[in-house]
Amino acid sequence: MKRQIPLALVIILCFLFVGHTFIPHKISDNFYQWWLSWVRTMTSFAVVLGVMSLFTVHWGKISRRMPNWQYSIVTLGALVFTSASGFIWGTQQGTPYMWLFKNVQMPMSSTMFSLLAFYIASAAYKAFRARSPEATVLLVSAIIVMIAQVPIGMAISKWIPEISNWILNVPNLAAKRGVALGVGLGGTAVSLKIMLGIERTYLGSGD
Amino acid sequence: MNFFEKLQALDRRWIYLLVALAITIPLVVVFDSKTYTTTPTENIYQLIDSYAGRDDRAIMIDFLHDASTMSELFPMEVAILRHAFQRKVKVFTICFLETAAPLVDYAINTVKEEFPDIQSGVDYINIGYKPGALYLPIVLGMGDDISEAVKTDAEGRQLANLPMMEKIKNYNEMNLVIETSGSGFGASWFVYARPRFGVNVAAGITAVMAADAYPYIQTGQLVGILAGLKGAAEYEKLVDLFAIHDKPFSREIARTTHVSITDDTVPYKFKAARIGMNAQTVVHILIILFIVIGNIGYFIERRRNKELN
Repeated sequence: MKRQIPLALVIILCFLFVGHTFIPHKISDNFYQWWLSWVRTMTSFAVVLGVMSLFTVHWGKISRRMPNWQYSIVTLGALVFTSASGFIWGTQQGTPYMWLFKNVQMPMSSTMFSLLAFYIASAAYKAFRARSPEATVLLVSAIIVMIAQVPIGMAISKWIPEISNWILNVPNLAAKRGVALGVGLGGTAVSLKIMLGIERTYLGSGD
Repeated sequence: MNFFEKLQALDRRWIYLLVALAITIPLVVVFDSKTYTTTPTENIYQLIDSYAGRDDRAIMIDFLHDASTMSELFPMEVAILRHAFQRKVKVFTICFLETAAPLVDYAINTVKEEFPDIQSGVDYINIGYKPGALYLPIVLGMGDDISEAVKTDAEGRQLANLPMMEKIKNYNEMNLVIETSGSGFGASWFVYARPRFGVNVAAGITAVMAADAYPYIQTGQLVGILAGLKGAAEYEKLVDLFAIHDKPFSREIARTTHVSITDDTVPYKFKAARIGMNAQTVVHILIILFIVIGNIGYFIERRRNKELN
């Protein structure tokens, strides 16, 4: 039963939603709207569940003085303080919530993302080698596209942006389209397998 | 250990230091550089500009990213809003990520400081955050009636009662959606809303995602893209060149005229992308140098190994 009920639910709902997509009847539309109200409710419970889980995990770490337990205090403190500031003063311009966003979240998130530049530079120096003809083509293409991305490319020669555009519009586009078609067909095949009950790995091991 | 062997074994912290300097110095010491506009950016500008002064036309910006990709996407959002507010184009803003909600407020307020006459509900409507689970119903529902699909704005007001909605009902009027994203490129809009309702879709994306978007430009599913900081810089230039002077768009003028960024009359926030492009130029040159030096060292070492064997 532990496997049959979820499996039946998935198969029935899959067919119902496919039906809704292709049959724009009032009954199917009403069903969809009813389902959406459930989705909204369930999403709210998911938030509660997420917060409870976060508290349980980190509180456990703090009370047992597990390694790096100090960071858990920061996590829980940030969660409580940010939520409280939003609930009490709102989230508009000029509120403590917005101050936290501008002065804490924005710089921290940007810092994490900007680390990419350092890793790319390091990888370019240490690992980007013309070891084979294929790697050489990749390397030359990368250099042309990189130089064309910045104003100096055009300043050197008007052909650099032209070549870069050709690389992006012909070989890149062909490869991307091939990948997209493959992903699309693969997605359709997996969806069909789930709908027909052939693919069941999402149910877990069933222990 | 000879020079090239030393180079091959260079501690990566030196590379990090050079990258840090290459980024920070051009941001602090601003120098003038040319911005060359491209067709995908010009197309978006031209379409938005064609709605200037019309009460029965609007655009929508869907903020689909958090603060991590702000450095690339925020300048383009600011530039589009500045263009719209200057040229009296009606704007809707929406987000389906809770972490994007403060960004929408921040972007609007950043631009509004320069446009004190712009009013919420009259010139723009910030729909605010809507749960991701409602993405598809909203995308499709707006094709029939925007004020039914999203009943209230971020301030809790009924959309149907707002003055901006008098002549705007669905995608026939709100005919351009721009998704600024660090993870997608307007796919839900051009998969569901474009074929069914004919809405124009454009995307503002990070530079690493640009290659993925090209097939959709070629097919016409995307009317244009703003690709990374370069796209934002191009849009900033177009706004400075045409919109601010209420001039009509001209592709020829856009491509041949230089707009200085060392001029103090333009606030920093409206040329942030162009200043950022200076840093990007230096870093790109540095990375290319790294690749070239790394490969020279690699070939010398390989030749030496062959000779020894």
